[in-house]
Amino acid sequence: MREAKARMNIKTRTNAVSWSFIAVAVIMICAFYFYPMIQALIMSFQSGTGTNLSFVGIDNYTRLFTDSTFKTTLTNTFIYLIVQVPLMILLALFISVLLNDKNLKLKGFFRTAIFLPAVTSLVAYSVIFKYLFGADGLINVMLLKLHLISVPIQWITDPFWAKITIIIAITWRWTGYNMIFYLSALQNIDNSIYEAARIDGASAFKQFSKITVPLLKPIILFTSITSTIGTLQLFDEVMNITKGGPGNATMTLSQYIYNLSFKYTPDFGYAATVSYAIVILIVIFSVLQFKMAGDKNG
Amino acid sequence: MKKIIVLLLVSIMILSACSSATNNDNNAGETAETSKITIWAWDPNFNIKALNLAKDAYTADNADVTIDIIENAQNDIVQKLNTGLSSGTTKGLPNIVLIEDYRAQSFLQAYPDAFYPLTDTFKAADFAEYKIGPTSVDGQNFGLPFDSGVTGLYVRTDYLEQAGYSIEDMQNITWDQYIEIGKAVKEKTGKDWISLDPNDLGILRMMAQSAGSWYLKEDGKTADLSGNAALKEAFETYKKLMDANVVKIHADWSQFVANYNSGDVASVPTGNWFTPSITAAADQSGKWAIAPLPKLTNNPASVNASNLGGSSWYVLNVPGKEKAAEFLGATLGSNVELYQKLVMEIGAIGTYKPAAEGEAYNAANPFFGGQKIVSDFASWTAEIPNVNYGMHTYAVEDILIVEMQNYLNGKSIDQVMTDAQKQADSQIK
Repeated sequence: MREAKARMNIKTRTNAVSWSFIAVAVIMICAFYFYPMIQALIMSFQSGTGTNLSFVGIDNYTRLFTDSTFKTTLTNTFIYLIVQVPLMILLALFISVLLNDKNLKLKGFFRTAIFLPAVTSLVAYSVIFKYLFGADGLINVMLLKLHLISVPIQWITDPFWAKITIIIAITWRWTGYNMIFYLSALQNIDNSIYEAARIDGASAFKQFSKITVPLLKPIILFTSITSTIGTLQLFDEVMNITKGGPGNATMTLSQYIYNLSFKYTPDFGYAATVSYAIVILIVIFSVLQFKMAGDKNG
Repeated sequence: MKKIIVLLLVSIMILSACSSATNNDNNAGETAETSKITIWAWDPNFNIKALNLAKDAYTADNADVTIDIIENAQNDIVQKLNTGLSSGTTKGLPNIVLIEDYRAQSFLQAYPDAFYPLTDTFKAADFAEYKIGPTSVDGQNFGLPFDSGVTGLYVRTDYLEQAGYSIEDMQNITWDQYIEIGKAVKEKTGKDWISLDPNDLGILRMMAQSAGSWYLKEDGKTADLSGNAALKEAFETYKKLMDANVVKIHADWSQFVANYNSGDVASVPTGNWFTPSITAAADQSGKWAIAPLPKLTNNPASVNASNLGGSSWYVLNVPGKEKAAEFLGATLGSNVELYQKLVMEIGAIGTYKPAAEGEAYNAANPFFGGQKIVSDFASWTAEIPNVNYGMHTYAVEDILIVEMQNYLNGKSIDQVMTDAQKQADSQIK
């Protein structure tokens, strides 16, 4: 009997200790994540200038459907998403397989070189890209000198090329980052699997598509979700390279939120609504990706 | 169990210590603020220099006041003010802040009670009339008008001569004549006539204001796009410029300045604050002149003067506001001598009328071939039509930037204006 009581004591005690450890984190998360999220949700049902907010019901949400700027920014974001994310994932996968080759010399150098863009500041690299792709920038000068083009390409001020510039920029910045995930996952794949495949006469492409890709599936899923979220929140590059222009040809949802809150007469209520639109999109995409990539029994 | 109680007690003590520490800070801040004035402004070569001159003038007589001038980019100031004022706490905000005239109403009306009225601090009648509208609400003055955004047409006289024109041909012309001369210059010299950023419709704003018109109606809240004759003609003129193939495109400020400093582009219609950027290319001394801004060809209301940019000083409704207002009133609100210094040392043209008669205003500028540019600008300032910039200048402009692209790509002008109006009506309320 006494033993049982002592054990109970120990149990409650460890419980209390462990709760007190996580209590700090829980309180912090509630105060700095959930409370603002709920406040933003409440705010998304309000409208008005600056501090003169009043409740307008679901007006803000219906406004989304008639707001042509919102539609344009949404389309732009989707174009980035559909073109850039698969491109980057494939590129990262390809490079990581190349770099995982046992016979490759200077492995460390190549890995560092490809990962390096991921540690540069978003603003710094954006500014450099803006100059590289300027009308008189290095890229145009190079293409002109090589006689690949006869007139300079308007990388920043043409609606089509501006999107291309943004896509090139974010691909350059984030490919190395995703590559690291693949590389570490590749190193966990047992070499004997490849050996067995080679003995059975599988080609390099067969090995890649039948062994590497299926075994990397969870990582591919993870990187595509994080890249999707990253693209939906894209801001720094567009803000610094094209300022969303020409017109709003490259403007993203995040930049529209910024404009609504800080560039125009502030309407924080509607800005909160647009940010909740992003939240909803992220949830939908993540669920979709899980469904598409998930195992049949998972 | 004891340990947990101890742990809890310690954490409570730490937490309360933290909060009491911040309380102390608050009190200390408030007492210190009464003798310290913090000012936020942008542009080290212009506004900050002007503030330093004002500070020197003021602290000579008021040694007990500390003036802390903080330089921030304009976008950062706008963002910090918006976050600060909307959060409801005035902590961390300055006593005095510089706000662009286009944005002033947006702040004044979005945050009522956040600004301290300056009606008794300075005589509004002493300042250029067109600055009073944007800086006041319901007849109360909230902003002390500062620099003039009066526009002029900066032009390379050497390129003009090569094309068979002189600066006399540029006086009081229309935009159509301006484009014709531009074509001749391009043909003879191969130089572009003007550098434009498709994302910045400043030239449209100048054209509209020259005819006493704006993106918004008199009330400052309703969009005035479809049926706005001045704006329609401004759109058409913009397209004519583009079609004339005399435009070099830039994407940001540094490219814009570089286009002129490198001698690639021959003229720029813009605000007088562009002078330091032109004179930065010392090798072009004597090759520039400034003509009045062209006017709209078919709009009888349009004059050869307009405004672009310009800003004013505002006092925030925080402890220390009386001192801050007194500082502004004593310096930029009434000190004629200070304005002379502003002109001589930094080329800043104020909107304080009594200062316009001083010697500094009549000095000849050798860079501009001996032209008395300050007195020219001052006389054009008097002609600027007064418009209400309202609350939504930049929101409407972003709509127009998109519609301008559609127009250049072949959409009809009436459709463009109707669509822009529709969008603006749904966006601004």
